[in-house]
Amino acid sequence: MSKIRENLPGPADGQPLPAEPLTRVYEVFLQPTRNEPHVQVGSVNAADDQMALDFARETFGRRQACAHIWVVRRDHLVGTVYGEDFMERACDRGYREARGYQEVRRKWEQFRRKGDVDEYQKDDLKEAF
Amino acid sequence: MSIGGQMEEPKLGGTETEDPQKLAEFQARIDSGDLIERDDWMPEAYRTGMLRMAEHHANSEIVGALPEGEWITRAPSLRRKLALIAKVQDEVGHGLMLYRVAEDLGKPRDQMLRDLIEGRTKYHNVFNYPVPTWADVAMIAWLVDGAAILNQKTLADGSYAPYVRTMRRINAEEAFHFKHGEDMVLTLMSGTGRQKQMAQEAFDRWWWPVLMFFGPPDKESRHNAPHLKWRIKTASNDTLRQKFVNRFVPAALDLGFRIPDPNLRREDRTGNWLTSPPDWDEFFRVIRGNGPCNAKRLALRRLSYEQGQWVRRAVTGQLGLSAA
Amino acid sequence: MTSRKLSKPADLPDDLRPILADWLLAAADDVFLLGHRNSDWTGLAPMLEEDLAFSSIAQDEIAHAQAYYLLVSELTGQPPDKLAYGRSPVQYRCAHLVERTDDFDWARAVVRQFFYEHYGWLRLQRMVRSAYQPLAELSGKIAQEEKFHLEHLDDWAVRLGTGTDESRTRAQRAVDKLWPDALCLFEPVDGEQRLVEAAIFPSAGCDIRRAWFEEVSRVLDRAGLTVPSADGMDRSSCPPGGRRGVRSESFGELFAELAEVYRIEPDARW
Repeated sequence: MSKIRENLPGPADGQPLPAEPLTRVYEVFLQPTRNEPHVQVGSVNAADDQMALDFARETFGRRQACAHIWVVRRDHLVGTVYGEDFMERACDRGYREARGYQEVRRKWEQFRRKGDVDEYQKDDLKEAF
Repeated sequence: MSIGGQMEEPKLGGTETEDPQKLAEFQARIDSGDLIERDDWMPEAYRTGMLRMAEHHANSEIVGALPEGEWITRAPSLRRKLALIAKVQDEVGHGLMLYRVAEDLGKPRDQMLRDLIEGRTKYHNVFNYPVPTWADVAMIAWLVDGAAILNQKTLADGSYAPYVRTMRRINAEEAFHFKHGEDMVLTLMSGTGRQKQMAQEAFDRWWWPVLMFFGPPDKESRHNAPHLKWRIKTASNDTLRQKFVNRFVPAALDLGFRIPDPNLRREDRTGNWLTSPPDWDEFFRVIRGNGPCNAKRLALRRLSYEQGQWVRRAVTGQLGLSAA
Repeated sequence: MTSRKLSKPADLPDDLRPILADWLLAAADDVFLLGHRNSDWTGLAPMLEEDLAFSSIAQDEIAHAQAYYLLVSELTGQPPDKLAYGRSPVQYRCAHLVERTDDFDWARAVVRQFFYEHYGWLRLQRMVRSAYQPLAELSGKIAQEEKFHLEHLDDWAVRLGTGTDESRTRAQRAVDKLWPDALCLFEPVDGEQRLVEAAIFPSAGCDIRRAWFEEVSRVLDRAGLTVPSADGMDRSSCPPGGRRGVRSESFGELFAELAEVYRIEPDARW
């Protein structure tokens, strides 16, 4: 085929190229290793589900760790709308967050020495704060 | 390669018809570092500007795959052959991801492929130069990919989220392209007399096209302002060009290359390496279609497209989907 | 049949070593040239996504070739690149099928790879049970990658056969044109029977060519394509060919291109 690259046909005869049918867009969710969640990595054009899976594997799973892939037709995805669906809570929700309980430490110190409270709080889930 | 942005910049459309309140909010989002998603409100000029940028970048990837692709069948070792195939394959993959970004901004992929082939849209100028020897393959992967890398951070700092995410993926994949380029050049310059001569001659051919890769001097670039304001573009041509020169001149000299610029000198005060001005007349001649390989590149893309039509029809014809 | 484990070249009987080297070269040369031909489609395939898939398959083939050449290198001492690029034409052991150009015809490229994948798969099933440990291990790894190739190429055969009238016609034309060369994939290297007796290439108890014919026919039926006659199935219809160093008329041009840069400095590093 390399000869083709050198011996190219002359300039186009001016006939416009006809438009081609579209394919569907599929969103791609990739799981890098079995212990991780799937992450949306992009989208592909494909004519059917199996093709979408193959193409997703090649496009996104070729150059990174990839244990598993989901593809979903974009028109089958249901989602919220930025700006219309209000995703954040405006009013304070401290009652259900660990950092809403800062005064607990002070209350412990009514009963226990500071050093003992430090030792006791070592097992708190620091990430929750 | 991450070469988006280095183009003869198209004008962005005006914003006179946009709601001033929405425009101001949009600008505030950009200024605060917020990324714009596909479904967010955006000025029409921003949408078309981003679309053209993604389209130009995608075009450049799939045209860029051709000059190096010529050498796949002639790569001189198993490892180089595999690396070159993978590099060219990555470029096709980048093109396809970028076409997806552009398509989601409102232009069907097939339309973009036809516009490219029929000359209505452009691609990066640097791919209009010939690749006559294996050493040219090495130079492209070292110098041209090296230039593209300097762009990496700036493109991934842009404002349009789908493009930014694609750029991050492209950058991760491209890391090896440059290493592969360095490896080839270092091997040639440690090789036989004939290999070193081949490398020097290729260096002579690519030095000036690579300096012009970053686009015309800032003072001659008319359209920077809206691109920068909306972070469609995030760095100036001259800044990037100087960075490139400062990195690659000392490296090339240490390898034993002669740099084809009699006026090349180092400015003590700044540490900058100063070059002669590139031939911008040639740049514009090439970009307008009179370069050595413009016709050949597009003819090959057209051949690929035409020869593939019966295949695509077989694959998609049964689906019964028609253009919206 | 020997029960002694052959875990390194030194374990092989002296007279088997050159036969095994030849046999491994046949496997290596086949996939090297297939990969070489198919990699030329990178950037030019009919669909961008398929471009990636087909290019990955080509890279896999060349990587497999490299691994086989490494095994040969352990037997003969010649480095893999020299084996791949530097032998004389008569020393290559590839089948004519892989030497041919595909003339930039997607149907030809796909059908050739389809024919080869089924052949390769059947051989791999036996190679994983080889008494020569390095070959058994390598074959296990290769088989994992080849499974995907097989499915992918079967899908393409069916897609072309059942797509449009034009795609079916082109696919059928490719099947008919490539069939005689495909049958010659099964030509043995000189002395191959000794490898079978030593369980280095274990016999299946059934004719591998017959199994290939059945599997390929099954897919071609599903694709709505006509299976060419089984008349050429017996060994006598294949003249001495690729496995014995006889090259097709396509080899010269292919080899000149493949080794063009290598030959500028054959002993240099690139």
